[in-house]
Amino acid sequence: MKPPPFRYFRPRSLEEALAQLEREEAKPLAGGQSLIPAMNFRLASPGALVDLNEVQELAGISDANGTVRIGAMTRHAAVERDARIANRVPLLRETMPHIAHPQIRSRGTIGGSLAHADPAAELPAVILALDASLVIRSTGGERRVEAGDFFTGLFATALEPGELVTAVEIPAAPARTGWAFEEFARRHGDYALVGVAVRVTLDPKGRCESCRIVLLSVGDGPVMARSAMRSLEGVDLAPDAIREAADRAGSADIDPPADIHASAVYRRQLARVLTRRALTRAAARASETRQ
Amino acid sequence: MIVEGTYALPGSPEAIWDLLMDPEVLAKAMPGTRRLDRVAPNRYEGTMGVGIGPITAAEFDLVIEVTDIQRPLSYTMQIDSKGRFGFSRGTARVELTPDGAGSSMRYRADLQVGGKIAGLGQRLLDSVSKMLLRQGLEALHKELTARLT
Amino acid sequence: MTGRYFGESVLRLEDAKLLTGRARFVDDVSLPGMLHVAFLRSDEAHARLNGIDVSAARARTGVVAVYTADDLGDYWQPGPLLVPPPPIPGLVFNTATQGPLARDKVRCAGEPLAMVVAESRYVAEDALEDIVVDLEPLPAVTDLEQALMDGAPLVHDQFGTNLAAWVHQTKGDYQAARAKAHRVITRRFAYDRGIAAALENRGIVAHWDSGAQELAMWDTTQAPIPIRNGMAEFLGLRESQVRVVAPFIGGGFGPKIMMFYPEEVLVPWAAMRLGRPVKWIEDRRENFFATTQERGQIHHAELAVAKDGTILGVKDRFLHDTGAYDPYGLTVPINSQCTLLGPYVVPAYDSEFTAVFTNKPIVTPVRGAGRQHGVFVMERLLDFAARELGMDRVEIRRRNYIQPDQFPYDHEILFQDFRPLVYDSGDYPAALDKAVELIGYRKFIKDEQPRLRREGKHPGIGIVSYIEGTGIGPYEGARVTVEPSGTVRLSTGVGTQGQGHFTTFAQIVAEVLGVEVGSVEVSTGDTREFHWGTGTFASRGAVVAGSACHAAAMKVREKILALAAPLVGVAESDLVVAGGAVHSRGDPAKAISLGDLARKANPLRGAVAPGTEPGLEATAYFGPDRGNAASGVHAVIVEVDQETAAVEIKRYVVVHDCGTVINPLVVEAQVQGGVAHGIGNAFYEQLHFDRNGQLLNASFMDYLLPTALDVPTVEMDHVVSPSPLNPLGTKGVGEAGAIPTGAAFAQAIDDALAHTGIEITEIPLSPGRLFELIDHATGKST
Repeated sequence: MKPPPFRYFRPRSLEEALAQLEREEAKPLAGGQSLIPAMNFRLASPGALVDLNEVQELAGISDANGTVRIGAMTRHAAVERDARIANRVPLLRETMPHIAHPQIRSRGTIGGSLAHADPAAELPAVILALDASLVIRSTGGERRVEAGDFFTGLFATALEPGELVTAVEIPAAPARTGWAFEEFARRHGDYALVGVAVRVTLDPKGRCESCRIVLLSVGDGPVMARSAMRSLEGVDLAPDAIREAADRAGSADIDPPADIHASAVYRRQLARVLTRRALTRAAARASETRQ
Repeated sequence: MIVEGTYALPGSPEAIWDLLMDPEVLAKAMPGTRRLDRVAPNRYEGTMGVGIGPITAAEFDLVIEVTDIQRPLSYTMQIDSKGRFGFSRGTARVELTPDGAGSSMRYRADLQVGGKIAGLGQRLLDSVSKMLLRQGLEALHKELTARLT
Repeated sequence: MTGRYFGESVLRLEDAKLLTGRARFVDDVSLPGMLHVAFLRSDEAHARLNGIDVSAARARTGVVAVYTADDLGDYWQPGPLLVPPPPIPGLVFNTATQGPLARDKVRCAGEPLAMVVAESRYVAEDALEDIVVDLEPLPAVTDLEQALMDGAPLVHDQFGTNLAAWVHQTKGDYQAARAKAHRVITRRFAYDRGIAAALENRGIVAHWDSGAQELAMWDTTQAPIPIRNGMAEFLGLRESQVRVVAPFIGGGFGPKIMMFYPEEVLVPWAAMRLGRPVKWIEDRRENFFATTQERGQIHHAELAVAKDGTILGVKDRFLHDTGAYDPYGLTVPINSQCTLLGPYVVPAYDSEFTAVFTNKPIVTPVRGAGRQHGVFVMERLLDFAARELGMDRVEIRRRNYIQPDQFPYDHEILFQDFRPLVYDSGDYPAALDKAVELIGYRKFIKDEQPRLRREGKHPGIGIVSYIEGTGIGPYEGARVTVEPSGTVRLSTGVGTQGQGHFTTFAQIVAEVLGVEVGSVEVSTGDTREFHWGTGTFASRGAVVAGSACHAAAMKVREKILALAAPLVGVAESDLVVAGGAVHSRGDPAKAISLGDLARKANPLRGAVAPGTEPGLEATAYFGPDRGNAASGVHAVIVEVDQETAAVEIKRYVVVHDCGTVINPLVVEAQVQGGVAHGIGNAFYEQLHFDRNGQLLNASFMDYLLPTALDVPTVEMDHVVSPSPLNPLGTKGVGEAGAIPTGAAFAQAIDDALAHTGIEITEIPLSPGRLFELIDHATGKST
């Protein structure tokens, strides 16, 4: 399991990195936790790598005007430990420990994970639930893409050749918002068989004003359970309504694949059960904010 | 691995039969085909490159034999592709029925996958094959439409 | 024997070195001019090899040589049959062993087709992509039942069948037993396993010193001495010209006792031809194909019981998957056949198995080595019988136990060591009582389980019993030498794969010679140090090699007394050997240190009396009459989430009996590790082969091993039934933890989900599979 030969660049600035990416037809190297194994298996053989690990300006967490901004090269471990994330984006904080293992989280990055767009990854589903935006740069300039438009298919994103995700921007949560993340994996740290990220916002009367239910590992990328979400708008988040929404999430809203770990039927069952559990917890948290 | 379903194609079975056997059209129906030549009346040889996400498109040698021909309604393809990442081979049965001005194509492919793709790609095989199939059928539809008008 | 060290929890002497990276493993060996090997392996599971073109690979810069089967000339031969079948009447055995590189035909995915030798492993792997192979696929054989049907494709054409072996052993009259039974329980059981997944993969470094005309090999083998002897023969060398070193090895578990693997046979040959050292280190992906595994069996079994639960007889017909070749004979299925009898009185037994060739990797023993299959069948049959008879699961076992006063107990059939299956000692009721107590069985059934059920939970308890045949012959040896410094050097032929031999053997010798355990230096696995022996397998290290260490130390002790008596000036019977010296019992000041005694025993002037030997050194061997029978009871409490089919292990208890305990810490570690291995086999590990022989989970991404977070701390107790078969009274314990785990979980899950009527008759059980079984049991459609 040795990779074939490749050229290697280690830029010190974002400008340098973008210029190299464009010129060399290279792949960016972030945490390397997905790319390097693929290279060692000789499944990926990029001719050149642009190593982003010394581009300091790409890492870091800041919050200004209510928006939390996470630099693309920020390690999962840093996000996991950050007090601002814990206070302002608790859904993200709850999700982080589910991402692989501590060793992997010490190297893996948020930008790398989102650009890789593995259908079993947690972060794409979470940023979709948070209605976040991605900041994208190339030698030609900067643009923003909403999470809903970023994931375009199996391992496919809106990134064009030569473009890099430079940051994730997460807007402030509205008042009376509850959240929850649930995942089912064979072992601690495994790829999820099914996972779900939920956010619900209540109106002043305590009914559901809006909700996001985003599932992972049930399709080509993060999947919004649209009919389940619609069924909850305007209603009380009582156990019956939650159960019905969860049933929709597990049936009409997804077309899950089968593999050696789980049949499509089993994935649907897990989607139902996890969505119900996540909605129940999210609803309880949203209610707490009212008191 | 079994992949099956139906898909609506423009044009009657008569109208599209020869097009389906045309290597240029057939190549469109298989995403990533770099070259496909008809080397004998019912035999095609070529190369294709398929990559998903970080996986570099590796080159596969491709051989297709068309058998059980019942023009213009059905045929079977024996597919054999081999490359560094492993191999994929099997049979695909195609049946056309007239459907209004167009055709309803019913397909059923029984493919075995081996080597690296089989051993390392299980998590994704289902999704990837569904995706490639979807892309292929959409491209085929587009190509047929272009040629029929 | 008890005292300062024997029976004590001595901290392991080898750990400081292992934990600080100072232990030497095969991949640490680096020699000037060393070359690196990569193998081209078949993607096809069954195919004709029509041609192979390595010319482009040979032309690549950095490639020194590329070999195919044709290049080997006369050196190409099928490997030896390592374990011939036992002398059982009527036995059928078709011998088929693997050649080092495929010729004419490929019989499983991963078979080596070509060997590339290059300046680095990177270049060697680049060169693999240059090789063009013409493989004509053939239909593959993977299903055991279909493989035996007429018209099935043949793995080995010359036999005209895929039957590798047929064995029938009986005792008593099963038909008569069945006729008078109150109930006959009949079921089909399927047991699937996986790989050993040792932390360290295999590896070999070979160096031919043409000046000295000597070959040195570093090899991750569990059997360095047989490897030396075999390689000498294959290469046309004298045994004394070959040195094999098995340094520290990161886990054996069985596949490393498979010998004369293609790589083992080819790397030294290449080293001799090329005149440069050659190294091959297996990577993890290769390990899934190139290293042996242990796999499937399908049993149709029947238990005839009386109304009170007494076993009248058992009948079993099973199929055993031996893979593409059968170099290891019938060790695994014979273990299944014998271990099924367990700790029970079984008056009538009719057991027949067919070993089947398939297009999958070779099957040789992996920790448990077929015993778990037998245990699973018997324990499940007893559970179903108990249910039908309305009996308690613990009671039905107790009622059928061989009693402590019935030893030695002869089961009247043949075991893997070719000797009759006779149990030496044991106290099964005592172990059961301890386990029942420790897990709180009665309280659980009466109070906790009903309470948790009222809360909507699904708790279950399982308690199972088993025998583990260990410590078989033929023999091992050891040499003990007291050096002038006072250090005691112990050399033995067995290697070490992490079992703590550096400590347990030192304890044995330190006890006999009265020295500090830390002053005993142990050398293992180096044929230059010791060249008589077989290897570590079948949980025999402590028993057989340990007994040899003891015997050698006793002989040295005799020499010490004989030599010291005149020097100290008292009779031998008045001497005490302790504290690294010999002193007079009456006057401790009259003493001489062992080091000084050793010096005196090797004089430069004077004489060594005729009939005596210089120095304080002795070599001794130990060969047990037959294997002994360790035993134990496992108990587990689980909770099943019926919605997701997730199973949580709440508690795990093991009461084991490995006879006299040399080092409790080592025993506990073996049990804990064994249970982790067993949990892996019960829940997580399964090799998924498709019907074309393709392995669908050839990496740890998809072949799941339990981590420290998935395995509970095992609560342990023990019973001691010393073995009369060796002077230490000890029995093996290396595999005990892994053997009954599947049966324990199956019983516990059946219990947790009793309201569904589920019956688990297969292992392993992923949540996905358990979910399907629950659906079937509750009658829901899937």
